[in-house]
Amino acid sequence: MSNPSSGITGVGLGLRAAFIERVERGEADGKIAFLEVAPENYMHRGGKAPRRLAAIAERFPIISHGLMMSLGSPDRFDDGYFTDLREFLGRVDAPWHSDHLCWSGIDGVLLHDLLPVPFTTASAIHIAQRVREAQDRLGRPMAVENVSWYLQLGMPQKDEPDFVVEVLERADCQLMLDVNNIFVNASNHGFDPYQWLAKVPLERVVQLHIAGHDRWEDDLIIDTHGNEVREEVYDMLAWVIERTGPKPVVLERDSDIPPLATLLEEVARIDTVYQAAVGRWQRQQGVARHG
Amino acid sequence: MVALAAAIRRLDAPEAVTRDAVGFLAEFGVAGPDAQALLARGSQRFLIYRTLVHNRLRAATREFIPRTAARRGKEPFIADFAAFMAEHASTSPYLRDVPGEFVAWVVPRWQADASLPGYLGDLARHELLEGEVKNAPGGGESPTGSPLALDAALVFDGSTRLMQYGWAVHRLPYATDDRSDPEPEPTRLLVYRDADAKVRYLELTPWAASVMATLAVGNEPLGRGLSVAAQALGEPLDDDKLAKAAMLFAELADRGVLLGAR
Ligand SMILES: [Fe+2]
Repeated sequence: MSNPSSGITGVGLGLRAAFIERVERGEADGKIAFLEVAPENYMHRGGKAPRRLAAIAERFPIISHGLMMSLGSPDRFDDGYFTDLREFLGRVDAPWHSDHLCWSGIDGVLLHDLLPVPFTTASAIHIAQRVREAQDRLGRPMAVENVSWYLQLGMPQKDEPDFVVEVLERADCQLMLDVNNIFVNASNHGFDPYQWLAKVPLERVVQLHIAGHDRWEDDLIIDTHGNEVREEVYDMLAWVIERTGPKPVVLERDSDIPPLATLLEEVARIDTVYQAAVGRWQRQQGVARHG
Repeated sequence: MVALAAAIRRLDAPEAVTRDAVGFLAEFGVAGPDAQALLARGSQRFLIYRTLVHNRLRAATREFIPRTAARRGKEPFIADFAAFMAEHASTSPYLRDVPGEFVAWVVPRWQADASLPGYLGDLARHELLEGEVKNAPGGGESPTGSPLALDAALVFDGSTRLMQYGWAVHRLPYATDDRSDPEPEPTRLLVYRDADAKVRYLELTPWAASVMATLAVGNEPLGRGLSVAAQALGEPLDDDKLAKAAMLFAELADRGVLLGAR
């Protein structure tokens, strides 16, 4: 599958109920490049929320990032969910749809969380086949996101980046690269995040996530999206953008959500780092062309 | 996956995993290197997803029924939620459906427990209603354009709900620390979302509620529905009732709830 070129680049924000009204009123106009939405918050739903989103979609490009596809689950896909999702993606004209390398339910029960998958070839084959099926059902390209994981779900046959690469290649899909999740995992499981990054094919990166997290225990941080982005995570973002060039970067915030103005200041800080990295990428390109 | 799901759902999981994590995993055929990998960071780390899932879903539920949860008490609410996860849990891909799934499961259990205030289930259903009607996929449909006729069913706005309570829970104060008891009073409410997407509540008389139960919920044609509604109350369908039904229809049409005949 070719890399879907939507033309969306720059730093955007994950849209949340806490500030959707302010965004609708125009308080983010000119301050973000686009918005990322969780379709589940608007699917199968009437009233104000979908109305607000429709108004916002008139002014901003929308990227779709789902929570409940449960790609790693052995359960069959939920037909109703896919029908609603396909309709939603058409409505906001999303250039692609992403969901997580995880499972969220089993035996018909949904646990509403991003649960870890085993890093095995069997699991990669299963997920890749589901990604292909999802692309067919949705009629759009899919991207998969690397998640934060706190347990190895059984004896791994490979490390996480090798597993991610295997899924990407078998599914021939895009990567929704979450640099915070790599940082969280590196810190919890003791590996070098840059070695992780060096293993994945950056040409498959269609979009990035950046977020903050919280310390839970001495040896465990949890990906709460409840804090400011850390310096080390900014550095990782810059490292990637320097190599990929301009991509859409989303700031995610899901708990302890500050006022929109504060989030927009953080978007501006991310944008400074992002623009500098794009500048370095452009100089590299120039060198490559002329040299 | 089955073992992790059981650690998240089963009521005895924290105790069983703490006592004998290897034995717990063996129940699901997980042994050897797989079990070692799962328990590499200790048995309590194996329970981390249980904590995360319960905290997240319980918090989402409490947000929808804050006064019910506060009156139930912190620890009993946590225990109720754990029992819900063990025996039923969620089957919807939408997080906003979890509170309703919990309430549907827990209310019969609360009602069967004589040590709990009898109104608790009604309060939960009432609190839940606000979110349910606010987000109902239906609603905002256009008028049908057909005038009312005796042989045709009526069409109501898709967000409309008819509620019956044994207590006047809708008159309780909004403060979560309030502990006053509601009046034990049969209560019938019509709830809908208006054109500005606000949730509106109408208190109904027994007659109006009976009419709405047959016409809006039972989908009976108008003429037959009115007879059935009167029969349900054990009363004759007299001129007074017909006049009051006409007034009800006029008010509901005015409010955009009654959209016309099918
Ligand atoms: Fe993410």
